[in-house]
Order: sequence, then structure tokens, then C-alpha cells
Amino acid sequence: MGGHMQSWRRKSLWLALSASWLLILLGVFPLLRLAVPARPRARAPQGWPRWLDAELLQSFSQPGELLEDGPQPPQAPRGDSCNWGACFDASKCRDGGLKVFVYPAAGPISETRRRILASIEGSHYHTVSPAEACLLLLLSSDTPAGQCEPVPAQWDGGRNHLVLNLHPAPCPQTVQLGQAMVAKASPTVDTFRAGFDVALPLLPEAHPLRGGAPGQLQQHSPRPGVALLALAGERGRWYTAGTNSSACPWDGHCEQDHGPKQTPPGALLPNATFCLIPGRSPDAWHFLQALQAGCIPVLLSPHWELPFSEVIDWTKAAIVADERLPLQVLTALQEMPLTRVLALRQQTQFLWDAYFSSVEKVIHTTLEIIQDRIFGASARPSLLWNSPPGALLALPTFSTSPVDFPFYHLQQGSRPVGRFSALIWVEAPGQLPLKLIQVVAGSQHCAQILVLWSCEKPPPPRWPETAVPLTVIGGHRKVDFAFVVWQSFPERMVGFLTWSHFWDETRGGWGYTAEKANEFSMVLTSAVFYHRYYHTLFTHSLPRALRSLADETPTCADVLMNFLVAAVTKVPPIKVPYGSRHQEARPPLAPGSPGLRQEPQPAAQDCINQMAAAFGHMPLVSSHLRLDPVLYKDPVSVLRKKYRSLEKP
Amino acid sequence: MCASVKYNIRGPALIPRMKTKHRIYYVTLFSIVLLGLIATGMFQFWPHSIESSSDWSVEKRSVRDVPVVRLPADSPLPERGDLSCRMHTCFDVYRCGFNPKNKIKVYIYSLKKYVDDVGVPVSSTISREYNELLTAISDSDYYTDDITRACLFVPSIDVLNQNTLRIKETAQALAQLSRWDRGTNHLLFNMLPGGPPDYNTALDVPRDRALLAGGGFSTWTYRQGYDVSIPVYSPLSAEVDLPEKGPGPRQYFLLSSQTALHPEYREDLEALQAKHGESVLVLDKCTNLSEGGLAVRKRCHKHQVFDYPQVLQEATFCVVLRGARLGQAVLSDVLRAGCVPVIIADSYVLPFSEVLDWKRASVVVPEEKMSDVYSILQSIPQRQIEEMQRQARWFWEAYFQSIKAIALATLQIINDRIYPYAAISYEEWNDPPAVKWGSVSNPLFLPLIPPQSQGFTAIVLTYDRVESLFRVITEVSKVPSLSKLLVVWNNQNKNPPEDSLWPKIRVPLKVVRTAENKLSNRFFPYDEIQTEAVLAIDDDIIMLTSDELQFGYEVWREFPDRLVGYPGRLHLWDHEMNKWKYESEWTNEVSMVLTGAAFYHKYFNYLYTYKMPGDIKNWVDAHMNCEDIAMNFLVANVTGKAVIKVTPRKKFKCPECTAIDGLSLDQTHMVERSECINKFASVFGTMPLKVVEHRADPVLYKDDFPEKLKSFPNIGSL
Repeated sequence: MGGHMQSWRRKSLWLALSASWLLILLGVFPLLRLAVPARPRARAPQGWPRWLDAELLQSFSQPGELLEDGPQPPQAPRGDSCNWGACFDASKCRDGGLKVFVYPAAGPISETRRRILASIEGSHYHTVSPAEACLLLLLSSDTPAGQCEPVPAQWDGGRNHLVLNLHPAPCPQTVQLGQAMVAKASPTVDTFRAGFDVALPLLPEAHPLRGGAPGQLQQHSPRPGVALLALAGERGRWYTAGTNSSACPWDGHCEQDHGPKQTPPGALLPNATFCLIPGRSPDAWHFLQALQAGCIPVLLSPHWELPFSEVIDWTKAAIVADERLPLQVLTALQEMPLTRVLALRQQTQFLWDAYFSSVEKVIHTTLEIIQDRIFGASARPSLLWNSPPGALLALPTFSTSPVDFPFYHLQQGSRPVGRFSALIWVEAPGQLPLKLIQVVAGSQHCAQILVLWSCEKPPPPRWPETAVPLTVIGGHRKVDFAFVVWQSFPERMVGFLTWSHFWDETRGGWGYTAEKANEFSMVLTSAVFYHRYYHTLFTHSLPRALRSLADETPTCADVLMNFLVAAVTKVPPIKVPYGSRHQEARPPLAPGSPGLRQEPQPAAQDCINQMAAAFGHMPLVSSHLRLDPVLYKDPVSVLRKKYRSLEKP
Repeated sequence: MCASVKYNIRGPALIPRMKTKHRIYYVTLFSIVLLGLIATGMFQFWPHSIESSSDWSVEKRSVRDVPVVRLPADSPLPERGDLSCRMHTCFDVYRCGFNPKNKIKVYIYSLKKYVDDVGVPVSSTISREYNELLTAISDSDYYTDDITRACLFVPSIDVLNQNTLRIKETAQALAQLSRWDRGTNHLLFNMLPGGPPDYNTALDVPRDRALLAGGGFSTWTYRQGYDVSIPVYSPLSAEVDLPEKGPGPRQYFLLSSQTALHPEYREDLEALQAKHGESVLVLDKCTNLSEGGLAVRKRCHKHQVFDYPQVLQEATFCVVLRGARLGQAVLSDVLRAGCVPVIIADSYVLPFSEVLDWKRASVVVPEEKMSDVYSILQSIPQRQIEEMQRQARWFWEAYFQSIKAIALATLQIINDRIYPYAAISYEEWNDPPAVKWGSVSNPLFLPLIPPQSQGFTAIVLTYDRVESLFRVITEVSKVPSLSKLLVVWNNQNKNPPEDSLWPKIRVPLKVVRTAENKLSNRFFPYDEIQTEAVLAIDDDIIMLTSDELQFGYEVWREFPDRLVGYPGRLHLWDHEMNKWKYESEWTNEVSMVLTGAAFYHKYFNYLYTYKMPGDIKNWVDAHMNCEDIAMNFLVANVTGKAVIKVTPRKKFKCPECTAIDGLSLDQTHMVERSECINKFASVFGTMPLKVVEHRADPVLYKDDFPEKLKSFPNIGSL
């Protein structure tokens, strides 16, 4: 009995034990799970509480309060400070855009100033009548102190006046500025009236009037082994430092501590990836040097307004850093991704070349900024200012929509355009694409239809009625191919006949030739594809003198067009094959233009030099290549070739 | 396990002591154990909602239970705001210090209720919007609860609406915050500044150096680069469901929906309406509606009643006039409706104007020119208007639609000032997503022809074909512009030949040994590459002539951002299979070049190695194929440009490997290559390759001209 009891008890005890073991297993682990993370939880961020009554909280304003904040009478502009809306009368600029009157010099003036005046007078902004002008420009005096000028006749409290102060003037208060805008170099942040004044770059005395030196950057990526940092020193010197110098630029003991090389005299431009520029105004002109050298400016808490900051997005070309955090800035520069370094470097060069390399560019940029303010809603978008070729070469009178220009297709991507032109290419002489034409014409977005007739048979005389204009163009393979190539290079000129320019030692000037050569730099405009924008640019941006030169000598028009496109794009034009049959039966060229083996006339030879002088440099670039169809003159079946007519003997 | 064994050993020893107890004891024990089991099981399988929720750590309290702080009447008062403050004068940047993530740390003071000496509250404790704002900051990456590590401090004292607070006492409350320190690095949010009668354009509460995110700044009060101009939040954003309406012409050209307009302005607008008739609509509040709550959502013109804000979607341009305050909540409603705001408020600093390009989304008209508004607007081309409508809607979606959006944009702006080298770009702030997706920003955008003197570095990838390799080296060394030769030795089991055995050439020759036999080694950005131009060449390409290679380099100089190669290949869409197909036939078109011999910028080596999207790099190494197609995809994708095929050459034929049975090998090869194209297109999410119909030849190629006068006479065969 006892044994039985014993075994029963034992059994039940075992059962109880194993059950409690199960209980422990099941129970301890969740308890552990709760207990273990409990400690980090206690340290976890105590966020903003989720209030139990959050739903009951009142809104910050009563419904009516946002609507009726008590009407207030319109206020006059406060203080003696001016802004664009209050102090500029744009109504005078309504028609004809920006017309600028420049006050003539009162007495004897310096040579620089005379040339600046001449440059403005030659530009398309200039007007001789102060009454007609919408902007009156007063070139601040650079005569010695004491000979300050009297208030000009049309002053009118400075309304619609721009006081242009290229170099720090000896007469600080020439006239009571009143409502006049001030364009001056590196204004301090505190006195600068954003959206009204214009911040200029601090130009060196010997800055070229026109053309200007090109940027120093010769390659996209930093040369291996080049110094990471250059520090702006006194009297235009730069101190370069390697990557492992710690805080040297800040404590000013670079030479002793780390022995960085001081740039040799004469070589004023820094050779480094980043250029540190202290924030004091006198250092502002280091900024331009850095831009030209393609050295990314790192501005340490600048107290001055960056030049043309109204339109130029400096975050794309420079870094504004806090001088109080040297180590952090250094680390950031060292660790900057290559992609960003590349982008910043290239942008410095683009900006230098587009807006800063000559006095003329600086003045024109100033005027264009004012013109954009007048245009208001039709001003140039930021993209036009901040990507090549720059706003001086992207005229808002042509369009303000980037897609209309040949330069911005990549950045614009597949942005949908409201309307399209349909180009229908008829190749097979079979069924006419009548259905297609009707369908396309039925689209609300279609602007026009161009039918490019490319088959051997002549096009039919009758076409379906459409709501939009329909044009039939008899195509030719030669033209087709050139057009297809142009679509890949919309910013360039694509032509058949070429000239090349050369430096003529004997005459000490430029010359050009139509002789067959291994390279070329110009295409003849008698048969050439280019974007229609260049017409606008040709007519509206070139100085009058150059255009009249082109009118007189038609060959000069060819040269001028090539100069213009090369100055804008900085790349050579494109040559496509002409087809040998046509070389004999050349289309009549513009009168006076040279034959294939005939040298351009002396008069025409001279225009290249006149243009080079007017542009301030030689913009033409040579190319070594011709773009041919992929199977051009290959020993494969003619039937494979799309552009076989180009090869016909 | 260990514990259970121990228990078993001790178990029998316990039994004798339990003899006196009987069945009841065991029954009780059993039931306890069973109950325990059930309870544990329940706990195990019960949904652990409390545990998994993030609220676990957050206290559950009522706003009414927050601690009360009594402010003595003579407690210190901060000075008025300093107008000359700038980031580098008034902001203590040392608190932000070095931060690998380039993110500022923001601390939020805990909520208190402030009362004055006699116990009267200083303000309503917190508004719904300010609670949302602080919640948004607390949930963001900026938040820290460690006051010692914070760079920016946000008081929980709600100053969104100046009318709801007592100015002096609120200032005293600010001054007693634990880290106040003259307001340094403190950020206040205010949407409705000023009060009658003069309505200042910035918060009147003295705040010393504190930054102000304000909703109605004028140029006189706004400290450029220090304060942040923010929108006035419109509660209708959350209350009303307004489906998006696409851009395009709308019923009304110009609409005014504000109710509290100065009579002078209303006269001007009504004059416009009289002049232009139906196309202008000037609305006012409805006089005959009795309920106050509804008045917010209704507008009237004469006896016609319109729903607000729905009516805004019927107009192309919507006037945003200033009232007593410059910042108006109606701006938010207008943007949301895709109506282009016409802002008539002189000196108003538009919301987030430091980073947003308002020219793209609005028209700013000086108050003086109000009567000309119609003609100014009419001069804007329709296409630009539609662009502005799209932009307006995008601004609302990104920066206006919620308190959270406003708070995060404000912090991002301050963050970008402190870490400028990591700042968000103009495009990221301003381009709508559709544009961001479609646009390509070429990394080598500057039109630049590198100097010829720089030359190029040839990189030969080799495994063990030494004899062929030496022939390639000898051939390539004849190219005038070669500046260095780099041999990438990809065989780990075999040492490269001794130095003395290598061909003697005029340029430096370097051998790099790799750790692993991978195809991607060919595209590694080796430090030895000093030139920008790289010629990738296989160890069996001996058929290219010196002229052909030199000409290839010249072409690269004219197109430094492209892949310049010899045989071209094409991708085609296979309509039957519904996928991409690789084509090596001699067609009229090209979209890829083989990298068996190709020139490109060395930057693309960096991109290939470090920035190749998805798993393409590993995929290529695993399949030992298609590295050239991957490179073609990569370059076309970042530059948006096509390749340049030079010279007529159609194939690389290695003389050693002539007649291996062509067909079947070819078939599998084509299938594999097609598979690569499809794989890469899916990883890139698009087909970046561009098809062109041209190739580059020397200017006088096959022209009737004496061969000896041509620069590149020996251009080779197919």
C-alpha cells in the first residue's frame, strides 16, 4: 500500500516537477525578454510625449482669425532704405526693354574709364537720350579726391539711377545716393540692400576690358598629387599646404610648422584643389583668382556679399564655411566625394568665363540682372544663369523656357512640353501614312506636321485636310543624315564644307583657308544645320560694328557665325560627309565666298582678325574628325547601308 | 539543461519530508502549476501591443498635468532681438561640433505651464499645431534628448500666435530656460506675429539672440541668413480633402478670395473686374450666412455662393494680398489648388525664400502696380503658366501641407548653414519629382578639350597569355600619346614574368597584381593612373594600328565625357519576347562600344567601382561577362549621351582563336549578352543607352587626297 502510495506520489511529484520546469521555461524567457531590454529602454530617447488629450488641444488660431487680421492701410516704404518695388520706376522700361543712358565724362578721364564708357556705348543697351532711357548709369569717378563730380542734371533724387563703382572710389560720397542703386565691389552684408543693389566682384586694376584670360582649368579632375589647400596670403600670394597639415592655415604659422611652398613670384594663381579665403573684405579679390584658377573657393565666414549673388547660385561653385570650425572644415574637404569636387571645379570655370573674365562681362551681367528685375515674371530662370553657356548668352527675348534653347536638354530631361511638331518620315513607297497623319493632327497638342518625303517616287499632290499646318519636304539622304547628327548635337553647327583657321607668322595675324586639311574649325553656312536660337543671338547680342562688318562682306558673316557659336559652345563644329558627286556640282555659295581651292579674298582674310579683336580672343576650336554613317564606305553590301546615296560616285 | 539535471538529483531527497502531507497537497500543487501554465501560455500568445508600440517609452499624460512654474514679476527679461545677428556672430557653432552624419542635434525642453505671481497663466499651454511641430521634430533624425549634446534648442513655450500670449511674461519664461544663455542657439516658431494697431512683422516677444522661424517677415525685420521665413499654416490643409487638379487653362484668369481686404485694394480689384469682366472674380465673405463655422468655407460674389477652397481650383492666378500681416494663410490654399499666387505685399519675405525659387511658382507685383496686374499676367506665356501651376502644387506638397513639412524644412535650412559642404542643392529643393527623375546632370559638363600633351594611360587586363600580352604592349607603345602602361595581372596562381623579360618600351610600365580574379579589376581607379584618359585594352587586341589608336585618343579629347571605342554594338527591343536583345550584326546604328579597346575618362573607373547601382558589379564578377555592357550603361546613365564609335572596325578578331565552332558558341554568347542588357535595364529602372547612326572618322578618311598628307593614313580594316 505504502509502496503504491509511494510510487503514485513519486509519479505525481515527477509530473509536478516537470510541469513546473515547463512553467519556468515558458515563464522565464518572456520575463527575461522583458527584463533585458528594459535597461536600454530607460536610456532610449525620451521623445516629446504623446499627450492623452492631444485631440482636444486648441488650434493656434481661431478660424476667423486667419481671414481677418484687421485691414491695415497700405504703408509707404519704411525708413530711408529702398527696395525694387518702391524705388524703381519700371514703367519707363515697358517697351524696348532696358535702355541705358550713360552720363558723359565731365572732364579729363582715365583711359580705363574712357574704354568702359565706349564699351557701354557700343552695346545694344545704349541710348543717347536720357528721356528715353529707363536706367541712367553713373560711372563712379576714379579721378583723384577733391575733384568729385557735381550732381548730374537728370538726377531726380537718384530714381532709376545706377551708380557703378567698379573700383573702390576715392570719392566715397560722390552724390547723395537717395534712391539710386549701387553696384559696387564686395559690399558688406550689413549695408547691402538685397534685390536692389548689385554686388560686384573686386576687380584688379589691370583686369582686361574685353575677352579676358580663359580659365586655367585644363582637365576636369584634379591633377594627381596637387595640393589640397591653398591659403590666401598678403599681396596676392598663396600658400599651399598638403593634405596632412592640420590646422596650419588658421594659426598662420604654415611656413615654420609644415613648410608648405610659397608660390613663386609671378605665378599669382593658386595650384590647389581648394582655396581658403578669409572673410575680411580686402581678401575678396583672392576670390576671383581662385575662380580663374579652378581652385574651389572656401570662404571663411565672409562679411561681404558674394558677387551677383542675386542670380548666381554660389553653393554650386564655392563653399561658405564657418571659420570657427577649422578641423571640421578640413575634414569635410578631405572627405568630400569626388563627384562633388568635380562639379564644383567645373562650375568655377564656367562662372569665371561667363561673368567675370572681363570688365565688359561684369558690366553686362550687372545690366542683365537689372533687366531680369524689370521683366519680373518673364525673367530668366535660375538654370539659365547657372549652367553653361550662361545668361549673357541665353537671351530672355528669345524664350525663358530652357527647353527652347539648344543647351539644356540634358538637365531638362523628359519634361513634357505643351505642344509638339510631328515629323513624319515617309520611307517606303507603299501605303501613305494618311491614317497616322489624321491621328496626329487630331491631338490637341500638335502644333504642326512636317512630312519628310524620302522615297524615290515623287510625293502625291494631295494630302488630307488637317487642322494644323502640314508641310511636305522632299528629303534627301544627305540632308537626312546631317539632320540626324544635329539632333545628337543640337548646340553645334553641323555642316558639309569646312574651313580651317591658322596663325600666319608672316603677317602676324590670323588667316583661314578652304584648302582640304586634316582639321577644320569652321563650317560654311550655305548648307548647315543649327539651332534657330543662334539667329536671335546673332541679331541681338553682337556689337553693332561686327554686324555691319558681316553685312558688308558676306564671307565675314560665315566667319562671324562660326565665331559666335564657338564662343558660346567652346567646342568645334561638326563635319559630315558631302557625297563626292556633289563636290563637282556644288550648290551656288554665297556671292564672294571662296571656291574649294580658292583662297578667301584679302578683305575677308582681314575680317577674322577684326573679329578676334572684337571678341578679345580667338574662340575657334579645331576638330580632327568627321562624323560618317556607321557603314560609310565599308566593303559590305550596299543594301545594308541606310545612307548609300552619300557614297555614290 | 544543466538546471533540470540538478533539480532531478535533488528531487528524490525532498520526498521523505513530504510524507505527512497527502492528496490535497498534491492536488493544490497541480492546480497551481496548471494555472501557472495556462497563465504563461496566455501571456506568450497574447498580442503584445503595448510592448511593440513605440509609445512604450513615452509617458502617457495629460497636458493639464504638466508641472506649473511660477514666474516672479521681477524675473529677468531678455533683450530685444539683435538685428545685426548672423550665423557667424550670434550662433554658437561649437555646440554643433564635428558630426559624421552632418546632422544637427535638436533638443526640446519639456512642457511646463507658466503662471505669473498671482497664478494667472501666461499663455494657453500648447496649441495643437505646436504639439504637432514638436512631435515632428522629436520623431526626426535631428532629435536628441541629451541636452549636453544638443546644438539647437526648441522651447516648448508656444509662440505660434502672438495674440494668445502675454509678451513680457512669455519673455521671462524664455529667459529662465536652463540653457537660455541670451537665447543662443534657441529656435522659436511663430506664424502670426505682431498685434494691433501696428502689427509688427516679427514676433514682439523680446528674445535676444534666438533664431526666429517667422511667418510674416518683411525685409526690415528679417535677418538674412539667420532667421527662417516660414509659411502661415492653413488648417484647411488637413480639414479639407481637395483632389489635385492638373495644370491648364481654367475658368477664371484672376481670382481674389481674401475677405479682409483694405477698401482701397478692394476698389482696385473691383475696377479690374469691371474692366475685364468674366475672367476676373473678386470674392468676399458671405453676409447672409448665419453660422460662423461655415463662413470659413464659403465665399460670395454678389448673390453667388462659392465653396472655399474649391473655388481656387477654378482660377489660373490667385491674388495674395497682404492684410495687416504680410504672411497670409491663403497662400497655402492657393498653392494647393495649383493656382499661381500673385503676391502683392511689398517687402514680404516669402516662405523659405533662402532656398525656394519663388520666381518659378509665383508672380510678385509691387503694390503700386496693382492696377497693371492683369496686363502683367497676360504677358506670361501659357507654357510658363502651366509650369508655374505645377511648381506651386509641388511647393505645397513638399513644404506647406503639414506642420511636419514646415518644421523639417526649417531644420534642414539651419542644418545646411552649419554643414554647408553637405547642403541640399537648388535642384533638390526646387525641382518637382518628375523633373528630378528625368533630368541628367552630366558629371563632366564643362566643355573642355583636354591638352594633347597629357596623353593617356593604357590598362591591359591579362590572365596568363604572356606572349599575346607582350605583342599588345609592343603595339600600343608605338602610339605617340601613350604616357603610361598599366598591366593588371589577374592570375593569383602564377607570378608575372620577370622584369627582364618584358618588352622594353619608351613609357613607364607598371604591373598591378590583383587579389582575386575579377573582371571588375579592369575598371578599378588605380592610383597609378595619372592621366584623365584611360585606354582599356584586352591582352589579345593586336589588330589595332597605331594611327587608329592615336585617332581614338584625339576623338576622346573632343568628347571627354563619352566612351570612345571601336567595334559598336546595338540593343534592340524584341517585340515577340517583349524584352531587350543584344545585336552584333553590322547595322546602321550603334548604342554601345566594346571595351576590349576603348578610351574613357578615369572618373568612370571611380563610378564603376564605387557607384555602380544595385548588384551589377557582383553580378558581372560572378558571370565573368558583360563588364563592358555595364560600363556602357553606367556612362550613358550619368551623362545622358551616346557612345562614339571610331573608324570602320567591326570586330576584334584574335588570330589565335580563329575557327572554334562559331555558331553554337555565338548563340549562347548572344543569349548571355541579351540577358545582361535586360538585367541591367531592370536595375537602372530605365534604358539609358542612346542609339546613334554616326561614327567618327578622320576628316579626310577615304577622301580623294594624297595618303601621305593625311594625319591618320593607316586607319585599318574592318
